[in-house]
Amino acid sequence: MSLSLLDATMVGIGAMIGAGIFVLTGLAVDISGPAALLAFALNGGVTTFTALSYAELASAIPRNGGGYAYVREVFSAPVAFVMGWTRWFTYMIAGSLYALGFASNFLEFGHIYGVTLPGQPVLYALGAVVTLVALNALSTEASGRGETAITLVKIAILGVFVAFGLTAADVGEFDPFFTEGPLSLLPAMGLTFIAFQGYDLIATVTEEVENPQVNIPRAILLSVLVTVVVYLLVVFVAIGTLGADALAGAGETAIAQAAEGFMPAFPIIGSGAALIAFGAVFSTISALNAVVIGSSRVAFAMGRERQLPARLGRFHYRYGTPLAAILVSAVVMLIAVVVVPIRIVGNLASLFSLLGFIIVNYALIRLRRRQPDLQRPFEVPFYPLTPILGIACNVLLGLFIDPFTWILAIGWLLFGGGVYLLLSRRGDIGPSGPPEIQEPEPIQTAEQTDD
Amino acid sequence: MSESVTHDLRVIVAGGGEMGVRTAELLDDRGHDVVIVESDPDRCDELADRYIATIIEGDASRPATLRQAQPERSDVIAALTDDETTNFAICMAAQRMSDIRTVMRISETADELYEEFVDGLVFPERLGARAATNEIANGGVRTIEDIGGNVEVVEVEVADDAPVAGKRLDEVRLPRGSLIIVDYRGDRLGGPDTVLEPGHRYVLAVESNVADEVMNLFRG
Repeated sequence: MSLSLLDATMVGIGAMIGAGIFVLTGLAVDISGPAALLAFALNGGVTTFTALSYAELASAIPRNGGGYAYVREVFSAPVAFVMGWTRWFTYMIAGSLYALGFASNFLEFGHIYGVTLPGQPVLYALGAVVTLVALNALSTEASGRGETAITLVKIAILGVFVAFGLTAADVGEFDPFFTEGPLSLLPAMGLTFIAFQGYDLIATVTEEVENPQVNIPRAILLSVLVTVVVYLLVVFVAIGTLGADALAGAGETAIAQAAEGFMPAFPIIGSGAALIAFGAVFSTISALNAVVIGSSRVAFAMGRERQLPARLGRFHYRYGTPLAAILVSAVVMLIAVVVVPIRIVGNLASLFSLLGFIIVNYALIRLRRRQPDLQRPFEVPFYPLTPILGIACNVLLGLFIDPFTWILAIGWLLFGGGVYLLLSRRGDIGPSGPPEIQEPEPIQTAEQTDD
Repeated sequence: MSESVTHDLRVIVAGGGEMGVRTAELLDDRGHDVVIVESDPDRCDELADRYIATIIEGDASRPATLRQAQPERSDVIAALTDDETTNFAICMAAQRMSDIRTVMRISETADELYEEFVDGLVFPERLGARAATNEIANGGVRTIEDIGGNVEVVEVEVADDAPVAGKRLDEVRLPRGSLIIVDYRGDRLGGPDTVLEPGHRYVLAVESNVADEVMNLFRG
């Protein structure tokens, strides 16, 4: 399979647009009021620094596997383990965020049609995770082209929302701008940062992209640019129509509720709000699918590199999928869905994404130092300022994420450290004796030829 | 090998000529990670376009350049430039830097002492000669592989008037040192009831001292 620039860009946009914006807008407005708009804009800036680093690494190191593969190339095993461990967790935790967002929006969708669905949202979230995990466990048919179509539908639905909303939006809703004080921007940025991290999925499919050394950097940067523009328009419309207070109250169904205020009726679909609610359901489920694949790929890559038990790095003989990696990821996702509240889930995912991005930026600096003659078809402009700013911004945002999230994060890291030590002591991971190498083809020496 | 888990290799290929690149491509297809070191800047651009390996621009026989390819993290170094002494120097330097398996390309008849210093030798001219022979003497015989010093795996077509044509294998006496591996349908190993149909191709392993005799039996 080969992915065009459009397909590759859509892989990134598809992972970013949708779930994050639908689920997190209300929560961000709850923290910082109308200034949430600025939080999204600044996050776009912050993530661009790291996106540039990804672009350079992806153009220079032709390897599927994304950030983890680059870090593995640059650092010693324990650092790469931390990177893989946190990336893995980010995907899993994002999965539970999207599953919870799906559940709320699915109930909202029924509600618009006057149907009150039975049961707790958590049950729907669990059902979504189980269904997608089962699908991915049984078949690897996850086509990039299908992804492109799905993403275009998502953008179109948000486009309809923005087109109607721009006429209805009231700029007065943004006055006063900083209802919660300027410093509230930072926690809002921390919470929503997870919405800006999907482009690294492009880096996990690099080997399938046409003319990769040109198209991968372009796809990464384009997907960030398009996503930021769409986010800003959507958040502007949401705040401008529903107002910050009502939006904050709506939580993870904020966008759908905003749409109820101004969307006209459509034939067949009914109210315009139903279209948006459908968009939210659709987006969260496709994002959930993306992270189920993403998380199992990281676990799979770590298994292959012998950083997790080798079982995780194998395909199942019958289904042809990395079954063990998918199942292990699913268990963590299910636990997170049940026990962790949605805001903590968002914060945790953002914190680990920030940590991963710090390591990626540092990997870029270290690679430039240690391998100056490496071919870099794309180079980060204003080096070393850009990656250093990337690190500084990510650290700053991380510091403003609440202490409880940090405790959970440190807990997961310590757990990872324990797993690592245990596995390496048991000899389950780490370099495992001499690798299997074919014997060389013997060549007769001059003496042998003579006889 | 005691460890059954196949491990993806990290391989340094010194020399990004056609041979180096093709090697990198084949390794990449099998899932291994490759770093190519190539000194010509234009060639480096071409290689980067192919996106099969990490490219380091520079002369691999310079330790400073070789160091950037990280031999200490790699499993094998293959010195595949067209210069034998350069290749030898690269292998020696890499061995000094780390505990790495070395494979070098030779262009003359192998110096018998090479085996004391490097783990594997590749002699493209010799492999090329095999391919050339197959093309030139295209008379129903193709060498598939030189197994070792003495054994060849060949594919032979039974000629219409050959001595063995139409005979069952237990009726003919093939010389010691020859073995039919695969019958003409390509789906069964040769056995006593294998019939040597004229016009069909069989895969044989033959020791070089009986090759001539076997060819006579099959080709007439």
